Amino acid sequence: MPPPAATARTAFKTLPRAAHATRQCTRFLSTARTARSQRPTAASPAKLQSQPYQPLVQRRFKYNTVEEAKSRYRSGPFSWKAGLLFVLTGAGLVWYFENEKTRMQRKRIAESTKGVGRPKVGGPFELMDQNGNKVTEQDLKGRYSLVYFGFTHCPDICPEELDKMARMFDLVEEQRPGAVTPVFVTCDPARDGPKELKEYLVEFHPKFVGLTGTYEQIKAMCKAYRVYFSTPTEVEPGQDYLVDHSIYFYLMDPEGDFVEALGRQHSPDQAAKVILDHMKDWKGALKTS
Amino acid sequence: MGLLSTLFPSESDKRATEIRTGAVAPSRAERQKCWEARDGYFACLDAHGIVDALKEDAEAARACAAESAEFEKDCAAQWVTYFKKWRVQDIQKKARLKELEAQGANRMDVQTDFTQRR
Repeated sequence: MPPPAATARTAFKTLPRAAHATRQCTRFLSTARTARSQRPTAASPAKLQSQPYQPLVQRRFKYNTVEEAKSRYRSGPFSWKAGLLFVLTGAGLVWYFENEKTRMQRKRIAESTKGVGRPKVGGPFELMDQNGNKVTEQDLKGRYSLVYFGFTHCPDICPEELDKMARMFDLVEEQRPGAVTPVFVTCDPARDGPKELKEYLVEFHPKFVGLTGTYEQIKAMCKAYRVYFSTPTEVEPGQDYLVDHSIYFYLMDPEGDFVEALGRQHSPDQAAKVILDHMKDWKGALKTS
Repeated sequence: MGLLSTLFPSESDKRATEIRTGAVAPSRAERQKCWEARDGYFACLDAHGIVDALKEDAEAARACAAESAEFEKDCAAQWVTYFKKWRVQDIQKKARLKELEAQGANRMDVQTDFTQRR
């Protein structure tokens, strides 16, 4: 029988060895687990080392009941809550991006048609309205304006388009009263004086502003708005003729810059929507009523 | 229409003459009347297979005398010519569109007829 001191010494000697063996075991386990888990989750080895003896089997029994485990196994990580969240988030994102896309498209149209420096379409003019008052581009500022060119002797297109303009104007007025001025400019100043314009326009809408002037003034106006018009050159006084002209509605913003051209392809509802959408985008001051 | 009405034309006759010669622009009601007369005339031309009423004027005058008289009474002379030309172009355009559609072209949203959109 060894003396007690010797027994104690051997015990003391074996202790670190045992500890060493344990550490080895730990490392074995931990490296094995780290190596396996590195790819999918990249869990920190430090965390795993801190719980060295966590048995592998323990993970299997984290459910309280068998039913819970079964249910979890069947549906995986999905539940109706997760599904609902996914659908709502998806729908929200789609709505937001669609909205933003159309807004950007409108902005691009408005920006691209806005001339740098001098406006590309529109500009200063001096004409006379159907009541004989002088009207310049300054009088149209502060509101959007919808400008249409035509003549009172027009056989088919202008009257139809003016009816359309009246409906379009009414639709815009319902939502934004006074935010747009409807303007009709004659391409036939020789025959369309203030009196003729007044008689003609009142049948379409009492709020239409009819503009006329001298041939030179009208020519300058049409040139500024890039409107093509051609009056027959050799007309005897009193002889009837037709004027060929462009048939677009020009939407001008409250600063007198051209925004968009509305054509025959737009129905009054579509055109009113285009105008109202541009108004929504407008950040500056906008007169009403 | 006797000698009396030729010598002393009534107010409405005077107005109708002014419209025909293009001295005044027609009102909404007068335009509507003209368009109706035009549609009646074109329907008659359609029925007789006449496309160009300006070129085939003898034939058109024989086939649609009544409609033509109505058309010329209710519309300005310039409009009559304009609508007759427009008819030829419109028929050609429609035929061309049909041809293109048969070849598989895509239709674009443009309006070429007189019907109003709402």
